[in-house]
Amino acid sequence: MPIARFSPFELLLLQSRSQVDTAKLLLLAWILVHRQHVSEGQRRRRLAQVCAHFRHGHELAPVMHIARQRDLKAIQLAAEVIRKECSEEHSLGVMHQAITVATDNGDLSLSNHYILRFVADLLNVLPTTLGTLFKELTGRALALPEDPSRDAYWRVHDADYYAQQARKAEEAARQAREAQEEAEQQEKRRQEEEAQRAHSKAQEKAERERARSDKSRNDKARKDQAHNDKARQQQERARRKEERERTKRQQQNSKSGSQKGSQQNSHQGYQNGYQHSHQQRSSTPPPPDRTTRALAVLELSPGVTQAEVRRAYRRMAQLHHPDRFYTQSEHQIALASARFQRIKSAYDYLMQTYR
Amino acid sequence: MRDLYQRLNVPPQANDEELQQAVARCPNSALRQDAEAAFAVAKRRADYDKLHATLSDIGKLRTQLGLTHGAHWQDDVANDFSVPPDEIVSRHDKLVDRVSHVVKLYNRWRGLRGAWLLIAIFTIGTGLGIALGLTLSQTLAA
Repeated sequence: MPIARFSPFELLLLQSRSQVDTAKLLLLAWILVHRQHVSEGQRRRRLAQVCAHFRHGHELAPVMHIARQRDLKAIQLAAEVIRKECSEEHSLGVMHQAITVATDNGDLSLSNHYILRFVADLLNVLPTTLGTLFKELTGRALALPEDPSRDAYWRVHDADYYAQQARKAEEAARQAREAQEEAEQQEKRRQEEEAQRAHSKAQEKAERERARSDKSRNDKARKDQAHNDKARQQQERARRKEERERTKRQQQNSKSGSQKGSQQNSHQGYQNGYQHSHQQRSSTPPPPDRTTRALAVLELSPGVTQAEVRRAYRRMAQLHHPDRFYTQSEHQIALASARFQRIKSAYDYLMQTYR
Repeated sequence: MRDLYQRLNVPPQANDEELQQAVARCPNSALRQDAEAAFAVAKRRADYDKLHATLSDIGKLRTQLGLTHGAHWQDDVANDFSVPPDEIVSRHDKLVDRVSHVVKLYNRWRGLRGAWLLIAIFTIGTGLGIALGLTLSQTLAA
């Protein structure tokens, strides 16, 4: 029957003068491999320092190599050897060494949090014992390991990234806002231009109207003149009468002219008014004043639905019903009933007209 | 520390694209948020994977050593990283078996005086060879 080859760690263990020490060495090397911010040379030196009293009697480099390869079979073998050989005091000594190796200048890495706890379970060290030992050795309490599988961990440990993200989002929001403002301004400018154009058109129209009316008046005047001349020529005798008649006609003329002018003015005014209302409607159509006031009584703003009006009325009516105040003074009840009346009339009005 | 790969139902060696798809599929919004945070940046995934590998190792070791219910192995970690014990092999017992087997073979070898046996086989072999050669040459001559 062929037997499998012996693995490097098994050979080491068989060669070793003390199997427990070799096994401890492997576990400590495993912890050292999971230390952060430590160079390879530092790790080797630290391991040599730790194993000064060990009686293993072989090289350290192969142990380090095995630990770095994540050789689970070797680590399991080492764990079994340690569990088999270590007495209670001895196991505390191992725990002590493990903690110092894991933490001696920096923090405990996350992996080592779990490895130390694994070693503690292996050596039957209770959590309280481990906690006090850790506190004595490092001066800090053994906290629970942080959890990188949660969002909160990264918000703390990668705060720069989140700050950057927030800055980016803010930038984007600012740009969007600017774009919107730009668009609004353009819209406003366009509206103004339109209004200007409408205004100038109206003015032009008015001008033309005035010109036309002037012309007609002049024509009439000239015609009158001609007529008068002819009359003077024809009826010299009835001049007085003519004279009187002419003044009368002229008076009439002037009256009709002023009438025309006032008509024109009123026309222009109408146009202006129309234009004004048109401009207002294009921006925001203001609802009738009474509706707004009724809505304000119900503590609502314009644009709510009828269902919301009804809900608001129920709430307000419950809040201000005079029966609520019957324990208080007459005056309070009177005030409440006035309030209630106002709310009710506002609601009635809205139910009749709103939407 | 939870095993996000297991919870998202993807293998740990999945590439980024598959992982992002799995994250997007995840129906639990809290888990999705955590997974997005942990896998948002390549560096974070590398960090997470490092710890994940260590914890998987520890989970296997604990199963093999019968430490899956230890006082220091609780909650999420214990739930996610303990592997079912298919076959528990004591490495130390195995080593002892193999060593004893080797020793037995060796002893047998020594007990049979293996070296002398080897020499005897060698001499018999050479003698046979010479005899065979002689008979062959005689038949060829005749």
